[in-house]
Amino acid sequence: MNTTLGTRIAPRPLGLSESWRRRLPLLPALVFTILLTQVPFVMSIWYSLTDWKVVPPTPRQFVGLGNYGKLVSDHFFRQAAWTSIELTVVPVLGSILLGTAFALLLDRKFFGQGLVRTLLITPFLLMPVVVGLIWKNQMFHGLYGVINWVIEKLGGTPVEFISRYPTWAIAATLIWQWTPFMMLIILAGLQSQPGDVLEAAKVDGATPFGIFRQLTLGHLRPYMELGILLGTVYLIQVYDQVAVMTGGGPGSTNLPYFVFERSIGGGWDFGRASSYSIVVVIASIIIATVALRVLSGLLKGEEIA
Amino acid sequence: MTSVRYDNATRTYEGTSVPAVDALDLDIGDGELLVLVGPSGSGKSTALRMLAGLEPLDGGSIRIGDRDVSNVRPRDRDIAMVFQNYALYPQLTVADNMGFALKQAGVPKEERRTRVREAARVLDLEPYLDRKPKHLSGGQRQRVAMGRAIVRRPAVYLMDEPLSNLDAKLRVQTRTEVVELQARLGVTTVYVTHDQVEAMTMGHRVAVLKDGVLQQCDTPRKLYHEPLNLFVAGFIGSPAMNLVPVGDERPLRLGGSAIELARPGDAALAEISGAITVGFRPEALQVGEGPLRAKIRTVEDLGSEVFVHLSLEHRGQPLALVSKMMPPFDGEPGDSIGLQIIGATHLFADDGSRVVSTTATLQAASAPAGVASDASPAAP
Repeated sequence: MNTTLGTRIAPRPLGLSESWRRRLPLLPALVFTILLTQVPFVMSIWYSLTDWKVVPPTPRQFVGLGNYGKLVSDHFFRQAAWTSIELTVVPVLGSILLGTAFALLLDRKFFGQGLVRTLLITPFLLMPVVVGLIWKNQMFHGLYGVINWVIEKLGGTPVEFISRYPTWAIAATLIWQWTPFMMLIILAGLQSQPGDVLEAAKVDGATPFGIFRQLTLGHLRPYMELGILLGTVYLIQVYDQVAVMTGGGPGSTNLPYFVFERSIGGGWDFGRASSYSIVVVIASIIIATVALRVLSGLLKGEEIA
Repeated sequence: MTSVRYDNATRTYEGTSVPAVDALDLDIGDGELLVLVGPSGSGKSTALRMLAGLEPLDGGSIRIGDRDVSNVRPRDRDIAMVFQNYALYPQLTVADNMGFALKQAGVPKEERRTRVREAARVLDLEPYLDRKPKHLSGGQRQRVAMGRAIVRRPAVYLMDEPLSNLDAKLRVQTRTEVVELQARLGVTTVYVTHDQVEAMTMGHRVAVLKDGVLQQCDTPRKLYHEPLNLFVAGFIGSPAMNLVPVGDERPLRLGGSAIELARPGDAALAEISGAITVGFRPEALQVGEGPLRAKIRTVEDLGSEVFVHLSLEHRGQPLALVSKMMPPFDGEPGDSIGLQIIGATHLFADDGSRVVSTTATLQAASAPAGVASDASPAAP
């Protein structure tokens, strides 16, 4: 009896050290990640509370919330914030609409299905810089661009898309790149819809459009919300396309690019640039929190029939 | 007047050469409850889906009433279907689920609500009209699926194993309710099941399918007493009919005993050649007194009846037989016990078709029925 009791008690302290023995190998990576992400973040917060210009070199001075105070009246910051909203909302909505359309077209059996799907996904696999360069030089270009070539063939006059409509050009590029991502999420949603429900609706007299509007759309809602959440969190910090296509040209400077401009991009005003980036982080956290709460509420309420 | 007629209807799935439903000919009368039954893969569900328009026809035609619907879309066929997993619309309330078809048909909101209420009252669903399907129990979901069908007042109801997801007790209870409901509404109904008890208890007529081919379509009584072939004989009835292959020797022998056939049987036997299978139901096999002896394997006492599972040596092989006896019965497994056939006996020819149904008796091994002197039960 004593021995069994002894062995039963024994594993406890052993188990603790066992769990630590398992965690130990993960620790270096964890510490490394914390150092790499959180230390710069905390330092950014500190910088944002100082007045620190590198060119011309001036001593760093603590100014409290002075940088944030100036933000409110900063016309350029407000402009960049508005552009950020445009460059997030337009591509997210555009790509979710197009992605849903493509997903509906792909959600059936046809010859060459695998090939078509793979080809449709490729835009998402390209590097953002490459996407920007392709669209700038091969699609939108005033002289050699494919779009202008088509316009000329149709008898129109060429348009300098990037200098005339910089924000819309970037938004179009982002839609092109993000449509496959939305398509994949929506396609997964479509394929998780039970077949007998669709058959029941057919027998019940619903037209294909009626089935989509009354049943499929409701089923897709959580999937669309997931796509919008993920797309928003990523697109709010887009930098590459802006840098490559317009270099922040007329009205296309969004917040991430503005932060770059004001710091290492020539402004060398690290104090104020840090305050901009902190604002972006806070905005992202708010959006993500709100969106996640909406999403999880929906998942709890709607799914798992 | 809504009858349904399958005329040579055939369906072959892509990538297969054997039809899932092969030249099905079936007439279903107005107001009839016809059950399609068969083992899995027999094509019963495919046949139903062809009628629903969910599977195209590769040959033949299907008529509902006077109309050839072979190339008509499901929504234009005026049918309602109950699915095995109910296929309720998860985002819609019970009321909206039941009213869905009416809404598609453009029925005004007020009338829709009245008709849904009416159906809900019949099915005891009134307290649940505002709930979503996921908040219902299995039995309630099943009733919603039924309700969705009856709200419509269609020409034909199609039911694809609607009770198979219910527990055993609820299934028996719901079975009766479905039969009563169908009788009250008087709407032509085609009902698919793999459960022969369900088929026998519910169907006005039962169509037995095997490998896509219709074996027999008749009343439950006829199926039971006059099965057209070996498959139907073995499929209908629980426990299954005793089927004994007796080869081509004459007279017919079971174990060491000769089987003597009564009036129409002996004449029919004289006309057929080739290997014969003898079939008799458990209730036609009596244990206790009898010329042939067998060993009891197990005894299943259900209270109202007792099934005695027996084993005996037949043509050099052990043969399993079942007898249904009235209680009380006091045999024990391992006991040796006498056998006698007291009821209908069917003879099936080499190709499986039933030749004749008659009565038969077992003769003692030494009886003067032309039996060779070799008394060994394991005669070749």
